Amino acid sequence: MSAAAPKATTSVDRYRSLFDARPLPDNALTQWRRAAFERFAAIGLPTQREEDWKYTNLRRLESRQFTPATPAPVATDESRWIANAGARIVLANGHALASLSTVSPQPPGVTLLTLGQWIANSPEQVAEFLQKQRRDASSFELLNAAFLEDGVVIDLADGARFDQPIYVIHQMGPGNGMSHPRIFVRCGRNSACTLVEHYIGAADSETLTNSVVSLDLAQGAKVAHYRLQQESSRSFHIGTVHAHLDRDSRYACRDIALGATLARTHITATLAGPGAEATLQGLFAPSGTQHLDTYTLVDHAAPHTLSNEEYRGVADGRGRGVYRGKVIVRKDAQKIDSRQSSRNLLLSPTAEIDTRPELEIYANDVKCSHGATTGQLDSTALFYLRSRGLSEDEARGLLIRAFAESILSTIELEPLRQHLEQQLNERFASSEARA
Amino acid sequence: MLKIENLQVKAGDKQILKGLNLEVKAGEVHAIMGPNGSGKSTLVQVLAGREGYEVTGGTATYNGKDLLAMAPEERAREGVFLAFQYPVEIPGVNNVYLLKAGLNAIRKHRGEAEVDAFEFLSLVREKMKLMQMDESFLNRGVNEGFSGGEKKRNEILQMAVLEPALALLDETDSGLDIDALRVVANGVNSLRRQDRAILMVTHYQRLLDYIEPDRVHVLSGGQILKSGDKSLALELEKRGYDWIRQGAAAA
Repeated sequence: MSAAAPKATTSVDRYRSLFDARPLPDNALTQWRRAAFERFAAIGLPTQREEDWKYTNLRRLESRQFTPATPAPVATDESRWIANAGARIVLANGHALASLSTVSPQPPGVTLLTLGQWIANSPEQVAEFLQKQRRDASSFELLNAAFLEDGVVIDLADGARFDQPIYVIHQMGPGNGMSHPRIFVRCGRNSACTLVEHYIGAADSETLTNSVVSLDLAQGAKVAHYRLQQESSRSFHIGTVHAHLDRDSRYACRDIALGATLARTHITATLAGPGAEATLQGLFAPSGTQHLDTYTLVDHAAPHTLSNEEYRGVADGRGRGVYRGKVIVRKDAQKIDSRQSSRNLLLSPTAEIDTRPELEIYANDVKCSHGATTGQLDSTALFYLRSRGLSEDEARGLLIRAFAESILSTIELEPLRQHLEQQLNERFASSEARA
Repeated sequence: MLKIENLQVKAGDKQILKGLNLEVKAGEVHAIMGPNGSGKSTLVQVLAGREGYEVTGGTATYNGKDLLAMAPEERAREGVFLAFQYPVEIPGVNNVYLLKAGLNAIRKHRGEAEVDAFEFLSLVREKMKLMQMDESFLNRGVNEGFSGGEKKRNEILQMAVLEPALALLDETDSGLDIDALRVVANGVNSLRRQDRAILMVTHYQRLLDYIEPDRVHVLSGGQILKSGDKSLALELEKRGYDWIRQGAAAA
């Protein structure tokens, strides 16, 4: 209606007008955000010309106009939350809702607060902290930095343990808001925690989640990280995870991607001290016209480090899955043990999965293995089950579940595993549901 | 119970069964013997509903119903059971789960209630004893990591639990040592009943020492060339198949 309104032409312009519209105080944090935005504006969104984005076209995302995330309470759908999953923190469209949180007072040495609280209390301190962080490199990390408002800060002193899993619910929608949450996890020596991230979208919402999680594990620290992505089928999800592992620390990430029209998860694990061990396991199941992309980078920067990756993809309808796993073994990083496996199942003739393990090895005393397979459901097994009285749908569902089982069985949190089994059962229960 | 008339079956371009006739009555045990490639396995697989075969002519009627028009699971629910020559390993699907799902599918089809969990487990334990199977079997994946003999025992265990009206045994004796063969045969014999028919396909006469058939048929070149009682099997053991084939060619 208003002819005077500036007409945004490119996605960078659209994000700039959103950025400029924000009332930000004049402080160091705002300067940091602005610098990040300018770096984002200079490089723009990634294109398929970039090797890391070869299989994922962002046109669907680029054409969208998102509204700024509002701190106003959104319609939450508690029935979709996992009961008894841990100390709950709800980020509704990226903003922490204290009223829904169930975090109990923690023992000394354990700090858990929302980033929003921290920013409100001491923005200068936050700015100082952010300056010291690893420099954001990718378009989406920069965009996240520019729009940074809220998130979670977990800080464990040496030897500290969080008494239960930290269950962060990223509740998105309704509407077309965008959210740029950030989670910082700092684990002191021999400390341990479990972080569960659950991304949930209201039906029919067309949101953008662009999250960044950075984890810093000091010597001997242990972190179990679960990501369960169930955004609405019209939404976009970009997730970036950076884990930095010092000597003898252990990081395990289980990444389950079921939702979103277009999703990309980028996980980097840097093994910076001898004895460090990273385990990355994941399951992605695109159906309909979903496009689910996973990119992992394991950087063996120190000798005597271990990595184990196992990803499984199940694609149905016209769904498309992408798994690319890169392993770098730095010069002088000897005695490395790295394993990578990618197994994929195509349930329809129009489904597609691209899988590509990549190894870059600059040391000579290393043990690296990788393998990738893509196939269809075994027709003999299908017949076997049907010959015992099971319907075709039931037999298919069982075989798909069996395929996913090696990932599901690694989930040690019982409520989470049960939730996931139920989700997969519903999804693969009948051919009608697969349409 | 089962009546096959002039059954003709193709696999790809190859005609495997060329007008096969066979009638099996309730309470009877029939053995089908024949040289390699004669169509024995094709016959039982087609009867169980395996895809990949084309029925080009003839009929198979089971209890008055057109067997060939039914989906594999419908046949199973109507009481047809195939013991596979090569039972499939399905890691991630629990053995007991499959048994229970199969039994409940059949019960539901008959309009019966689902089996009580406790009753079911004691039924499975009893049948496992019969088949001399280890307790650890209960928590394993379907045939996962089983030896050849264990797989065949598992087939008969499934048969014992599902209690079919028509059991099709596809070379159930192949790959078994003599002890395992005794266990398997004992399991099958315990399932012989007035209202149950068994059709077994085998290569060797030795199975018939343990499971005595009422009728023996020789399948060769896609047709049944000769039928008789169990003495026919002994004659085949002595003389091979050539004399039958020559006799058929002469006739």
